[in-house]
Amino acid sequence: MAEIAIKAEAVEIEAKVKKLTLVWTGLTFILFPILGLLGFLMRLVQGNVFPMFPPEWFYSILTLHGVGMVGLWFVEGMIAVIYLLSKYVKPSAGVSWFSFTFTLIGVALIIISTIAGKFGAGWYFLYPLPYKSAEIWPNWATDLYLIGLGVLGIAWTVWVIDVLRAIAKKYTLNQALAWHYLAGKTEPELPPIILIVTVTCIGAITGFLAAVALLLLFLFDRVSGTPADPLLMKNLVFYFGHVLVNITMYLGVAILYETLPQYTQKPWKTNKLVAFAWNTVLFLVLFAYFHHLYMDFVQPKAFQIIGQFASYFISVPAAVVTIFSALAMIYKTKVNWTLGSSLIFLGTMGWAVGGVAAVIDSSIAVNFRFHNTLWVPAHFHTYFLMGVVLMILGFIYHFSQLHSNIPDNSKLAKFTVWLILIGGYGFLSMFYTGGALFVPRRYALYPPALSSGTTLAQISIVFVSILTIGFLLYLIQTIRRWARSF
Amino acid sequence: MAPINAVAVAIFIFFALLIFGVYAFFISSTRKPAVGEDYYKSVAKLRAPFFVILLLLLIAGLVLTLPKIPYPSKGKFPDAVVYVAGKQFNFALDTQPIESEERWKERAEAEPVQVPAGKWIEFRVTSLDVNHGFSLYDENGKLLGQTQAMPGYVNRLFIKFDKPGFYTAYCMELCGNSHHAMKGVIEVVEEGTFGAKILNQQ
Repeated sequence: MAEIAIKAEAVEIEAKVKKLTLVWTGLTFILFPILGLLGFLMRLVQGNVFPMFPPEWFYSILTLHGVGMVGLWFVEGMIAVIYLLSKYVKPSAGVSWFSFTFTLIGVALIIISTIAGKFGAGWYFLYPLPYKSAEIWPNWATDLYLIGLGVLGIAWTVWVIDVLRAIAKKYTLNQALAWHYLAGKTEPELPPIILIVTVTCIGAITGFLAAVALLLLFLFDRVSGTPADPLLMKNLVFYFGHVLVNITMYLGVAILYETLPQYTQKPWKTNKLVAFAWNTVLFLVLFAYFHHLYMDFVQPKAFQIIGQFASYFISVPAAVVTIFSALAMIYKTKVNWTLGSSLIFLGTMGWAVGGVAAVIDSSIAVNFRFHNTLWVPAHFHTYFLMGVVLMILGFIYHFSQLHSNIPDNSKLAKFTVWLILIGGYGFLSMFYTGGALFVPRRYALYPPALSSGTTLAQISIVFVSILTIGFLLYLIQTIRRWARSF
Repeated sequence: MAPINAVAVAIFIFFALLIFGVYAFFISSTRKPAVGEDYYKSVAKLRAPFFVILLLLLIAGLVLTLPKIPYPSKGKFPDAVVYVAGKQFNFALDTQPIESEERWKERAEAEPVQVPAGKWIEFRVTSLDVNHGFSLYDENGKLLGQTQAMPGYVNRLFIKFDKPGFYTAYCMELCGNSHHAMKGVIEVVEEGTFGAKILNQQ
């Protein structure tokens, strides 16, 4: 009887998590094309295709595209991981629904702020620009933006704490961080996804705490008129932003560890090396963000050098453990290459290429000329768009195919992957070339002396068009399976 | 392009192509899977050498780049000082501190400041409103260096101009809707000419 009850409970949990994943994924199908097309529009504007396009609109779109994409892939990554985790632990479905509702509210506030209010201070809203816009956007637009972020912050903090709670119900903290592996023990066996998600959630909490401090200081300035310290505010916002982007990447990697073995029929287990790698990541991620402040010469020099060390060595566990193992796992192995497994695997390639570009830019002496040039969007789009986004899109396909039982169309899948690779890396090559030519980023229009920025944006339109077709084909194949999964 | 950035781009192209090649090799290996054999362990033997090579490359990167960090050391003194104040949407430059909006307006509309070529110039960079990024580009669009212009702080940027000409400061930090149009200009003159001009002014 007890066994039947446990089975019934497991079936019920699976159904709940499946429904959650389906609904969150539906939101992704709406937001991803919109936010992607906003990115496309920005390259058109930079290519001077619409010479009359108001610059304030460009910066509003830039803000919405940036904050929207980072937020979207974080939440979709979270739901993907919760779906995969539910095999081992039981995060609360209620908390996920709470998070979903509050995410919708936060997103709505940010859309109103940027579109209706023309808030255009960038996703990172560098203090004190939000309330000193040269009268381009009203203060209420800034208020809405910051409230929107606050709402998202509350929803996501509760969400990651609940995931940690679910893990803590089955594992102690030192087990969840695989410290017993470091001590030479292998029991209890810990699935790598638990370790990665624990690292991710702890990192997330530190990032959200920085965001809380940042928002409180904004509030204090707004209410009392007491200005905050711009350098402190910069440290807080870049710590928060850097951690959020990094942990989103780790959610993609958690997907990789859990799903790739299903396509190679080889297990991917935690061992001493994996444990050491992810604990190192948890430590180094706290210090790597200093590279965002290299050009603030008043920042203590020791922090800058720590930033370069942390940014360099955080690449080691990623390359030597995860990427190396993923490659070793497929070598001369029968792999079931579907659209899902291909995208998940190729996401590691974007991580590797983007990682090289990031390490190069994290050299202070190089950053002296690459800082805030197109080299920066080049490298983060490489490990984001061609990295974690591909991993999460791969998961969505994997999930939808599993529940719809519609077989993979291998020829169409292959064609789709090639379009995404050619369009994606072609698009990125224009950013990299712009960086090499010192073209500044975040420019609505390029002055005549920097006209190479305009030419590169025009060429990139061709590649973005190819990429768009690739993503469209992906959506057609995936939405069909997703719709059948309900 | 500055030598260090040219090397950086070359290194990136090399490693990006290498990564593409490695992925193509490994993916193509799945076309002919080895039945009954587990190649994971044989590939895993390469992990330790890969780790050592990667570590050596990173250490080499640190050793070669850390001595070139642009932060001025305590004992470094400039041959001339230029004060820079950013404000939406112009950079004002002067040989005297710019501490008020009136002075900023006056200097933003004035003739460019002149500095000598071949000498260390210290730019003391701040902002009167929001964050800006102070950069210096030559007439060919080559970026010489940059620092942030932050309200309440002064960042000290040392630059040596090799050639005379007009150099443009573009803004490198999003500062509002005319961020892309924000700039300032500095004129670099031959050292001899520079001395003669000072004498004429006196």
